[in-house]
Amino acid sequence: MGGVLIRPIILTVCIYLFLKFIVPILPHSAPLPSSLIFLYLMLVMSGSVLFATLSGESKDAFFQPILRFLTGESGGALSSARYLVLALFPLLVGWQTYGSTASSDAPPGENRTIHPAPPGEYTGLSNPVPKTPENIMYGKGLYASRCAPCHGNFDGKGFAASGFTPPPANFKDPTTIAMLQESYLFWRIKKGGVGLPVEGMPWKTAMPRWELEMSDEDIWKVIMGEYDGAGQKPRTWDESE
Amino acid sequence: MARVRRVGKRWWVGAVGLLGLCVAAEVQPAYSQQSVAVRAGLVKGPLPAEDPTAAAWATASVSEFPMSPQVHWPVRITDVTAKSVKVRGLHDGTNVAILLEYSDPTEDPDDAAALEFMVGDTKAHFAHGQPMAQVEGGPVNIWYWKNKDGKGSDLGAKGFGTLKPHGHQDVKAKGVYQGGVWKVVFSRPLSTEHVAEDTQFKPGEFGSIAFAVWDGKKTESGQPKEKGSEKAISSWWYFRADAPPDYSPYMYALLAVGLALGFEMALVRRLKKGS
Repeated sequence: MGGVLIRPIILTVCIYLFLKFIVPILPHSAPLPSSLIFLYLMLVMSGSVLFATLSGESKDAFFQPILRFLTGESGGALSSARYLVLALFPLLVGWQTYGSTASSDAPPGENRTIHPAPPGEYTGLSNPVPKTPENIMYGKGLYASRCAPCHGNFDGKGFAASGFTPPPANFKDPTTIAMLQESYLFWRIKKGGVGLPVEGMPWKTAMPRWELEMSDEDIWKVIMGEYDGAGQKPRTWDESE
Repeated sequence: MARVRRVGKRWWVGAVGLLGLCVAAEVQPAYSQQSVAVRAGLVKGPLPAEDPTAAAWATASVSEFPMSPQVHWPVRITDVTAKSVKVRGLHDGTNVAILLEYSDPTEDPDDAAALEFMVGDTKAHFAHGQPMAQVEGGPVNIWYWKNKDGKGSDLGAKGFGTLKPHGHQDVKAKGVYQGGVWKVVFSRPLSTEHVAEDTQFKPGEFGSIAFAVWDGKKTESGQPKEKGSEKAISSWWYFRADAPPDYSPYMYALLAVGLALGFEMALVRRLKKGS
């Protein structure tokens, strides 16, 4: 087998290893879904085939090793590999066919949007309550009595949290309140889980509709207490704020 | 020349090894996952619909779900007795039986348990199907059992304060208390005539299920510790009555193997002729 084939294989494997193991550990990165990795690998392989077949000469150089391998002309250790490939291919096709026709044992997948868009009237509202130590302390007191049973010490691990799915939010996580505006929290607290749009799956959330039990002013104070207790700052439009 | 050939072989061994590693990395180990669904297996013999201690239950797969105090509605509670429930299901193609099992240190007349289901395809909030602001929700069907009643009740609700018994009562329930554990079995036909009020089970299809438990132990005030919306609850999980065995995927797989083998042989033959 010539190097013409080996180079794309090595390139594909290296790209795979990079996407699978290196990308997740890069700063501000996350593991890539398998479907995306598959798409990237398909692009790499398609590019490799295009590159290798640009001219008649390179095309022959690319396909000849494959032909020799499939027809058994390569000889040596590759003969065993040939029988292995010829035996594995039908089995793989059978396995894929079974997988696509057998009924799944897994429950339906759920694509819940964690931070769906709020209704227009809640966009851009600013907290009307002065950010004084007294108000923050008052908000923390309300948080302790109303929110802490589920949200715990701002970490989503309250004693009442275990039975709920989706679980209560962890406010110390940088992907929750730190990336939201105060107006967003005001909407979520005031209207609760049942206020979510369909993509937020409101039928599953246990978040109470606090407008039934708290005034708007108290909700704004809770928001101040939440940010202060979690050590986070609300997202603002003006970075200089 | 010989050296070049050896290097070429090593390249292939390395490449195949790397590919093997990649495949191994993609294959997920079979972790024992947290329960997300109750699966009611199909039984051929009699269904233990009125016997929570029947030996047949040992053959059913068990799922365990954590329970939380009900905090969603203003009349809430902060601590509950039942921290989790174990759930098993069986069906015989006509009726379904669901066994709920949970710890309770005392047997009390007001001890109670319930199962909740969505009705039809419309989503319903797990808290009694209460209205949602941006989604048109549906009703819930609740199967309720209370120790002192000694029977099951078939209820419906669409929002707090709307809970009421159905005009038809299709649900049976029986509880047995043994060694600090309640075992309560609920049963009902898989399908009923009342599709607008009752959940309907289609074997093979997943539906939603939620659980509630009340510890009826009397407090100093003379009232049960848990009552009404002061209860242990779960939010929605999944339920499925298993479909009868289907062997057609094996046949399709065999057919695919045969076709792939035929294609492979024809291809190699043609390539050999060409070369």
